[in-house]
Amino acid sequence: MSEEMAIYYDASKCTACRGCQAACKVWNELPSPIDFNAGVCTGTYQNPADLDPHTRLIITFNERERENGYGVDWAFGRRSCMHCTNAGCVNVCPSGALYHDPDGTGLVIYDKDKCIGCQYCRSGCPFDVPRHTGVGVQGAGIKIDKCTGCIDRVRNGRKPACVTTCQPNALDFGPRSEMLEKAHARVDALKEKGFADASVYGETECGGCHTIMVLKYDRSMYTHVPENANPDGLTEALGFMKPLAAVGAVGIVAGLGLSFLTGVGYKRDRLYYDEKAHDEIDVDTGEVVKHIDKEKGER
Amino acid sequence: MARTNYPERDIQRHSLQTRLTHDTVAIACIWLAISGLFVFVPSLAAAFPDVAQGMRMSHRIVGAIFIIVPLLSAITAPKGFKAFLHKYFVKWTPEDVEFMKKFVPYMLGPKKVHMPDQDEVKSGQRIADGAMVLAAILIAVSGLVLWLGTSVFHAGATAELVMRLVHDVCFILFIVFGLAHIYLGAGIFQPYRGTARLMWKDGKVSESNALYHWGFWARKEIEEGNVEVAKEEK
Repeated sequence: MSEEMAIYYDASKCTACRGCQAACKVWNELPSPIDFNAGVCTGTYQNPADLDPHTRLIITFNERERENGYGVDWAFGRRSCMHCTNAGCVNVCPSGALYHDPDGTGLVIYDKDKCIGCQYCRSGCPFDVPRHTGVGVQGAGIKIDKCTGCIDRVRNGRKPACVTTCQPNALDFGPRSEMLEKAHARVDALKEKGFADASVYGETECGGCHTIMVLKYDRSMYTHVPENANPDGLTEALGFMKPLAAVGAVGIVAGLGLSFLTGVGYKRDRLYYDEKAHDEIDVDTGEVVKHIDKEKGER
Repeated sequence: MARTNYPERDIQRHSLQTRLTHDTVAIACIWLAISGLFVFVPSLAAAFPDVAQGMRMSHRIVGAIFIIVPLLSAITAPKGFKAFLHKYFVKWTPEDVEFMKKFVPYMLGPKKVHMPDQDEVKSGQRIADGAMVLAAILIAVSGLVLWLGTSVFHAGATAELVMRLVHDVCFILFIVFGLAHIYLGAGIFQPYRGTARLMWKDGKVSESNALYHWGFWARKEIEEGNVEVAKEEK
């Protein structure tokens, strides 16, 4: 497969049934807490409260009172990996565990065996998506966990698990260009219906995402949907550190090597200080090489 | 009649506690640099992922030693710590300025360039050690945020990126000054032969070497009687 693909999400069609959340967990064998009252109440239907090491996808719930005073706007959103082209997580990953699908789908995938658990990917992601298992001060067994776009299914010609379970067809998967076309058509339709702030998200963000979202309301109604999202400039600055370190190390070693060569064969006579006469004496010759005139304030 | 007997004499320069602190921190630094490379260089971590995981864990343990040992040393010997600060924060003398002006020519021509007398800590040493200590403090602070900010609490993306940049920049600074420090301190540079003894052996310096490196300090110590005969001349 060499075509860029994308997961399509239409917030205006989503009924927030969270079947996608369940399908994701089932296909990827991600456990859920089963203890009584194990879930933390968020004050909304959002559950769990955020992505976690065993939850790669959540449906977010946000609401606001309408300006006309009648009812509320209730916005359902999809929070998961955006599969960016300019992926901050890939940029900062020091072990090469995170990478773009070599088949050219654009999906950001990872090799857990290569993950060293530094968690830099989370700080590099403008959407705060990557999560890690076994987070602890000792640093053992920490591994990344995030949406892979169900790459194992995609490689076998199937759609991601979340997409196949979506009842209202809010989710879709296909060539990115087709998904964008579909998104724009939907936004146009929403605007005609009076949703003036409807927009396509993911088209230009982070160099173009491979998750395309149709937002029914303005961005502020959704969780972690930043304007003009791009990896922090610091992620690029970090890229300069390795060549800078190499230049510094090579430069200093070369300089010291040259210094060593110029010092080969260096010898000096042994010195002795006569503390009464205040004379420094060359022991081999008995010659006074320096006299300290205390009366003149020399020391 | 001219004197002909010049016994070999030593001056005590560093205490046992100073040496133990220095040596522990030095070994920790070397280990931290090696283990840090597994995070800093992707190909290294990718080639040995299991080793990299172990290195990351050791980076935390040794990092804690790197922070705790000097703090503990300063707390248990406050007078020594005060004296240490006093030696480094001193007014620059004309000889200090001259030393810095001659430093690079001297490093590239020690047989021809002669350095001026110095106090207990050379001006160049004060700059280099100061840079290393400053880098070490920033490395420690940023390291703690990177460590605890991803385990005990969530520091936030920007804070972690900034701390990582600080950690990397200070690491480079530390490597550059550290290599120079090893070159001079271990006596690899011919005029500095014998200096390894100061931190890795008995903490003493021969009178002759002391007069060469720290003339003002050496003469003061000898005049005050802080010198011992190591070997009588026959």
